[in-house]
Amino acid sequence: MSKKIGVFVCHCGTNISATVDVEKVAEEAKKNNPGVSYTTTYKYMCSDPGQKLLRDKIKEEGLDGVVVAACSPKMHEHTFRNASKKAGMNPYHVEISNLREQCSWVHPDKPTGTEKSIDLVRMMTEKTRKDKSLNPIKVPVTKRALVIGGGIAGIQAALDIADAGHEVVMVEREASIGGHMAQLSETFPTLDCSQCIMTPKMVELAQNENIKLYTWSEIEAVDGYLGNFDVKIRKKARSVDLDLCTGCSSCWQVCPSKKIKSEFDMKLGNRTAIYIPFPQAIPSKPVIDREHCLLFKDARKKNIPPNDSKVCRKCLDVCPIAPVKAIDYSQEDEIITEKIGAIVVATGYKELDDTSMYGEYGGGKYQDVITGLQFERLASASGPTEGEIQRPSDGKVPEIIVFIQCVGSRDPAKGCSYCSKTCCMYTAKHTMLYKHKVHDGHAYVFYIDIRCAGKDYEEFWLRAVEEEGATYLRGRVSRIYKKGDKLVVLGADTLTGSVVEIEADMVVLASAMKAQDDAEKFAQKLSIQYNKDKFFSEIHPKLKPVESSSAGIFLAGTCQGPKDIPETVAQAGAAASKVLALLSADELEREPVVAKVDRLPAPIFSTCIGCFYCKRVCPYGAIAEEDIKARDGSVIKTVARVNEGLCQGCGLCAATCRSKSVELAGFNDEQVYAEINSVEFS
Amino acid sequence: MIEELRKKAEELLKNGTVKVVFGYGEGSTPERTRPVFITKPEDVNKLTWNKYCVYNLTTYLKRQETRKLGKPALILKGCDARTIIVLLKECQIKREDVYIIGVTCDGVGDPLATKCEACDVHTPLIYDDLVGEKRENKEVPFEERYAELDEYEKLGEKEKWEFWQKQFEKCIKCYACSNICPLCFCDRCIVEKNQPQWIDPSAHPRGNLSWNVTRAYHLAGRCINCEECQRVCPVDIPLNLLNKKLAKEAEKSFNYRPGYNIDDELAMSTYKEDDDQDFFK
Repeated sequence: MSKKIGVFVCHCGTNISATVDVEKVAEEAKKNNPGVSYTTTYKYMCSDPGQKLLRDKIKEEGLDGVVVAACSPKMHEHTFRNASKKAGMNPYHVEISNLREQCSWVHPDKPTGTEKSIDLVRMMTEKTRKDKSLNPIKVPVTKRALVIGGGIAGIQAALDIADAGHEVVMVEREASIGGHMAQLSETFPTLDCSQCIMTPKMVELAQNENIKLYTWSEIEAVDGYLGNFDVKIRKKARSVDLDLCTGCSSCWQVCPSKKIKSEFDMKLGNRTAIYIPFPQAIPSKPVIDREHCLLFKDARKKNIPPNDSKVCRKCLDVCPIAPVKAIDYSQEDEIITEKIGAIVVATGYKELDDTSMYGEYGGGKYQDVITGLQFERLASASGPTEGEIQRPSDGKVPEIIVFIQCVGSRDPAKGCSYCSKTCCMYTAKHTMLYKHKVHDGHAYVFYIDIRCAGKDYEEFWLRAVEEEGATYLRGRVSRIYKKGDKLVVLGADTLTGSVVEIEADMVVLASAMKAQDDAEKFAQKLSIQYNKDKFFSEIHPKLKPVESSSAGIFLAGTCQGPKDIPETVAQAGAAASKVLALLSADELEREPVVAKVDRLPAPIFSTCIGCFYCKRVCPYGAIAEEDIKARDGSVIKTVARVNEGLCQGCGLCAATCRSKSVELAGFNDEQVYAEINSVEFS
Repeated sequence: MIEELRKKAEELLKNGTVKVVFGYGEGSTPERTRPVFITKPEDVNKLTWNKYCVYNLTTYLKRQETRKLGKPALILKGCDARTIIVLLKECQIKREDVYIIGVTCDGVGDPLATKCEACDVHTPLIYDDLVGEKRENKEVPFEERYAELDEYEKLGEKEKWEFWQKQFEKCIKCYACSNICPLCFCDRCIVEKNQPQWIDPSAHPRGNLSWNVTRAYHLAGRCINCEECQRVCPVDIPLNLLNKKLAKEAEKSFNYRPGYNIDDELAMSTYKEDDDQDFFK
C-alpha cells in the first residue's frame, strides 16, 4: 500500500526562505507525486507551534510518512522524530531534507537554490516511501564506573559516583593518588593550604567501600561500548605487596640510593629508590623505582633475574613483615580486566617544564630560574625546604624575585597559542606567599594582560598589588643573564615606555599547562577526539561540555583544557552526574540504525560468503564470525554477524560488501536506491 | 614432466591424501587442453602438461560440482597459485583443505600469452610439491609489468570513455567472465540482487556499463591477472585491460600486489596512516 506522505518546508526565519522559494518547493513536492498528500510551509518548524502543526497533521491527514525540509538532521531530526512519535507514528518514518546547510547557505542564487531544494525534497520523499518501522535497541548496563586519573578531578568524580551507591574503579598511573593539587602550597583565591583540603578527600576515597583503587597502573585497552566496556588495566610491577606492606617506612630509610631527583618535588628535592612520593601518599606504601634501584640495575647489567642479584637487598632485609616479606623483587606486570558501564577521563595536564626553547630566559640552564610548580614545592611545608623560600643554587633566601607570566602560553611561535588560564592567579598568589615568608623581599611581575575573571579573583590580584606590594610591569623580558650570583633581568615596561633592568636573586616562570605527553596515544586507545594541542575534545563546547566524542566516556579536569581547581571540581561533578544518569537505568536504549547481515532460509542461510572484508573495515569491532551449523554440529558455512550493541551505524560494512549482504537499517539499499533514482540527471 | 605429474597424482590418490586431482587433459585438437578431474589412480594417464595449459584451475574451487568431489590436489602454475594466496586471505579456503602440485613454467600459449610476458612467478610462491626444475623468480620492474597499458594510457579522458562505450556495447551479459573468475566467488552476485536492482540485467548499454565497471571494481586490489575473463569473453572485450589498470593503481597507491605474500594486509580493507591521500581534493 502506498504511503501518505506529508512534506513540511521550514523557512528557518529567512535562513532558508531568503535564497529558496519555499512555497514553490512545497507546491512541487505535491506535483506528479500521488504519494504526497499534504504539504505546507512554516516559519520555524522546530518551534513549539511548528511541532504541534506536525503532530496535528499526522493525525488529521492520517500521514504515515513525513519529510521535514529544514536544517541538518544533526540539529532537529531528533525533535521531529519525537514529535511524530507523540502523534502515534513510528519515528523512523520521518526523514529530514537538509535545505539549510546543504542548499540555502551555500547557494546565493534563488532560482538555482529553489531547483536544488525541489530535488532534495523529492529524494527524501522517495526515501520515505521505503522507510520501515524501527524500534530502539535495548542494551543492558553494567552499573560500574571507571575513573582514569587520581587527581582532584578524578577523586571528585569518583566520590560523587560512589556516594550515589555505584561501584567505581579508579586507575592512577603514579604510586599515589593526589595529582598536581597535592603538590601545590596554598590555593587562590582563599590561600588555604592545598594539602589540607586535598588529603581529606584522598582519605575519603581510600576509605570508601565502593571504590576500588589501582595505583601504579595504566589503561592497556578499552573494548566494548556504552554501558558495556571491557577495560584492560596493566598493574605495573610495584615490587611491594600492597596486602602485606604496612607502610612502616623501614625500607626507604635504609635505601642507599638517596640522590634520585624527586618528581613530586619537581626535581628540587631527592628521594630514595624505594619510596613513597610524599608523606600523605595513598596508598602509603612504597614502590621500587626499578630504573634507579641498585639491585635492578645490576640484574639488567648481568642479564639475570632480579632475585639472583646480590648487590643490595637492604630493603628486603629490613622489612619486618613475616613470614613472607612485603618486598618482592620478582613481581611482574599484571593485566586485569574490569567490566565497566561508563568512563570518566581525568588524566590531567603536564606543566611545561622544559624551557630550553626560551634562550632569553636562560634556556633552562640557570638553576635559579624555576617554573611555577617548582615555586609551589619551595613554598610548600612538605617541600624540599619545608616551606622556606630558598633559591636552588645556594639555598639563599631571595631578596628580589622576578615572576614572568605567559611562558609558553599565548606564544604560538615557541609554545602554545592558548592562554593557560591559571597563571595570572597563581603568580599573584606566589607574590603573596613570598611576601608572607620574606617580609623585606620584593616581587616584580612581568605580564601581558591580567586575566582574573572569576569569583573573588580580581580582588585577590588587587590585594597582591595594593596590600602585598608586588610591582607589576606590563611588558616582556628580553633577556636574563648571570652577573655574579645575581640574575639580571632585562625587560620593558610598556606603560611608561621605559627599559627595566632588575638584579634578581631568583626568577619564576609562569609556565604553561600542556596536555600530557602521551595524550594523543591515550585518546586513540579510547577512540576519543582531541584538539591540535592534544587536549581531549568535548562533543559540543557549550552544550555538551563533559561528553567526549565516544558515547559513555566523559571528561573532567585539565585533560580537556587548562582550568583551575574550582572549575575542575565543578566539571568533575558534572561528569559524575552524567555517569549517574547513565547508570540509573537497567537498560539503555540505542538508536536502531545498525547494520545487519542477511539471513535466509536453507540451503542458502545467508548470501554472505564469509570474506570478512566487513570485519576488517569495521572501526568498532562490531562484526563477528558466526558458524552456521547443521543438526549434527558440522559447520555448513561461516558468515558475518553484527553485534548491535557495538555497531555505531557508520555503514562501512555495507559499502564494502560485494554481494550486498549487509544492510544498514534506516539507510538500506532500497532507500538509498530510491533516493538516487529520483534525481533527474540532465 | 608429464610422467612426474602422473606419478604424483597417482600417489596422492592412492594414499588417500586427496580425493580428486584437478589437472589438464588432452583436448579435441593438439592445440587444446581441457580440465580433467581424476578421482581414480588408474585414470592418471589422462593428465597432460604442455604450453597449451593456459587456464587457471583454481576456479573449480568455488564450484559446487567440483567441491563435492572432496579434498582436491590442484596442478598450478606460478600465476594460478597466486589465486590460492588471495583465497586464503579472503577466508574462502583453508590451507589444509587443498593440496598444491606446483609446476614451474616458462610461459604458456601460442603465441605466448600476454600474462606471461612479464612473469615473475615461474616457480609458484605456494605449493606442497613442486614438479619441474625450480627457477629463480626474477623481479620484473614496475613499468615492464604494466607495459600492456602503455598504449591505452596515452588516450585522453574522452577517448577512453568512447573506447569503453564501444567495447561494452558488444557485451551480451553472458556472465562468462564472472563464471570463470576464481575470485568471483559470491553465492549471490550483486547483479542477481533485485531489491533494488542495482544493475540492469538486460544487455542494455546502461546496464552493460554498470555491470562491467562493477565487476572490475570488485576485483580492484584482488585480481591476479590470470586473464581468464578476457580469454572466455565471446565478444572479445579486453577485460584484462581494465583489471590491469586497477591493479596498477592499487600497486601505485598502496604498494600492494595481491597473491604475492600471505602476510600482506588486503589493500582494499586496510587503512594505513601512510596511505596515499592524494585523491582528497
